[in-house]
Amino acid sequence: MVSEYKNPRAKVAIYVGVVFFTFLVLLPLYVLFIIAFGSPSQTVAAYYPALFPTKFTLANFYNAFAGYGKILEAAFFKSLETAFIVAAIAILLGFHAAFGLSKLSFKLGSIIIALLFFSTMIPSITIAIPISATFLKLGLYDSSLGLAFAQELIVLPLTVFLIMGSLESVPKQLENQARVDGASFMQALYTVIFPLAVPGVVSAFLLSWLMSWDEFTFAVILSPVHPTLPVLIYLDSTARGNILTAASFSLLVTIPVIVLTIILSKFIKGNYLTAGITG
Amino acid sequence: MTKWRDSWTAYILILPAALYVLILAFIPAIEAVYYSFTNIKGGYTLFNYSFVLSVFGTRPIVNTFIVTVTALILQFVFAFALASLLAKPFKGRGAFSAIILIPFGVATIVTAVIFHNIFSTYGGYANSFLNIFGVKPLDWTGSFDTSLFALILADSWKNTPIVTLILLAGMTTISPDLYSQAMVDGANVIQRFFRITLPNMAGFIAIALMIRGISEFNIFAMALLLFPYQLLTTMTYSLYDTVNAHPAYAGATILLGFVLIFATLIMFYRTRYGVGHSNGK
Repeated sequence: MVSEYKNPRAKVAIYVGVVFFTFLVLLPLYVLFIIAFGSPSQTVAAYYPALFPTKFTLANFYNAFAGYGKILEAAFFKSLETAFIVAAIAILLGFHAAFGLSKLSFKLGSIIIALLFFSTMIPSITIAIPISATFLKLGLYDSSLGLAFAQELIVLPLTVFLIMGSLESVPKQLENQARVDGASFMQALYTVIFPLAVPGVVSAFLLSWLMSWDEFTFAVILSPVHPTLPVLIYLDSTARGNILTAASFSLLVTIPVIVLTIILSKFIKGNYLTAGITG
Repeated sequence: MTKWRDSWTAYILILPAALYVLILAFIPAIEAVYYSFTNIKGGYTLFNYSFVLSVFGTRPIVNTFIVTVTALILQFVFAFALASLLAKPFKGRGAFSAIILIPFGVATIVTAVIFHNIFSTYGGYANSFLNIFGVKPLDWTGSFDTSLFALILADSWKNTPIVTLILLAGMTTISPDLYSQAMVDGANVIQRFFRITLPNMAGFIAIALMIRGISEFNIFAMALLLFPYQLLTTMTYSLYDTVNAHPAYAGATILLGFVLIFATLIMFYRTRYGVGHSNGK
């Protein structure tokens, strides 16, 4: 077989590319890290901030938490609560819909998937503005539950695709066997299918959680008074001009999510994300 | 009998999710379009549109197009390079693909804050870097071109991973024999890319274009921090007011209109070029 992989020059080119992209990915994270931990005299207070600061401090963190303790705590729990509601609804609706879709004919299934996918094309702002008026009337404005209802729109189609993908790997015979043994449609779903689909369900749960944790557009329009963490970071870095606080909070938001991403990396794959669209 | 009941159960299982999307996505979108043509008393008017156009002109539309196109080009160039790297076997590929995925997990607003610090005019790291080479500090947010550069760089840093994953999924569907054959026939790297890789991946490229293109149109959090010029999203947000939302509805409708036009164009590209190639013709 003709292969360029064994060519030593190609090998060098690969590693040059690897080093280049690793550098590009890590550089902004390095900047966040030195702003959060560097002494302000070498970072935000300097006209030319040091690329390699020599003085480090925990005072930035201490001041951020001392000054905004209550607000931060409220924002943290609001983000946490919203993300869990979003992920729970996503699994509840998404799992059932995915299973139902796997039973439909290909043509009808594709139409419903197209409808779900089409909903994700509608800009969040276009949806958020009319919803905010409705939520004001319903008393859902500025609440975690209302925000979660809106953010659900972004994650629900993706959840359905992800779980459909994992249902495909469940052998059909198992379900048929359960039915022959006298299980009803729903019994077979919960006792036989669900346990086998757990890996897909868990990854869908984490991915929805992550997307809600990160979401900004709905949050800033539907919950501006008691903000979530991303909105709080935005307000801190612009309105109050407090870069150090924003950097400390940013690190707080980022670390759990990077850990989650690495755990999820097995599931965040192109062929999962495009499942149902590729046809 | 059971078959008939099963298929009804299937419909009932899908119904909540379908209704959910219908009530929370489609109805508000229709509301936005409807209210954009009414005034606060509920009468028909075109005033909201003429108001938006008289305040903002067509710049937000043009700017949105410029940002979308440049960001997509940058992301696809990087993603093709990365996917080609990841499609080859080499030591440390697993670790490399984990590193590449990190920005996907970094929140959009955090990315915006980081790049805001890199590209601030006073005390920014980009100017600090230029200073080493004796280059005068640049006013990054002061001109359209430099702030566009900062914005698309930040956006591409965050979103290239997702494009890479989709393109990589497409690349792995291409048989290596095709490349071997082309190499025997003397095709060089560039010829192989344009004659084999691109046409065989048209379907996947269309999906990545669709997903990213629509998000680019909706670029918002990053633009608030990094881009002092109006886009359709930031324009709509600045019009937003809980007392009289009608001008904001006009902005929201214009944004929706352009997203739908873009989506239709991509669908057209996909049915025209994508399907034939993915069948291996």
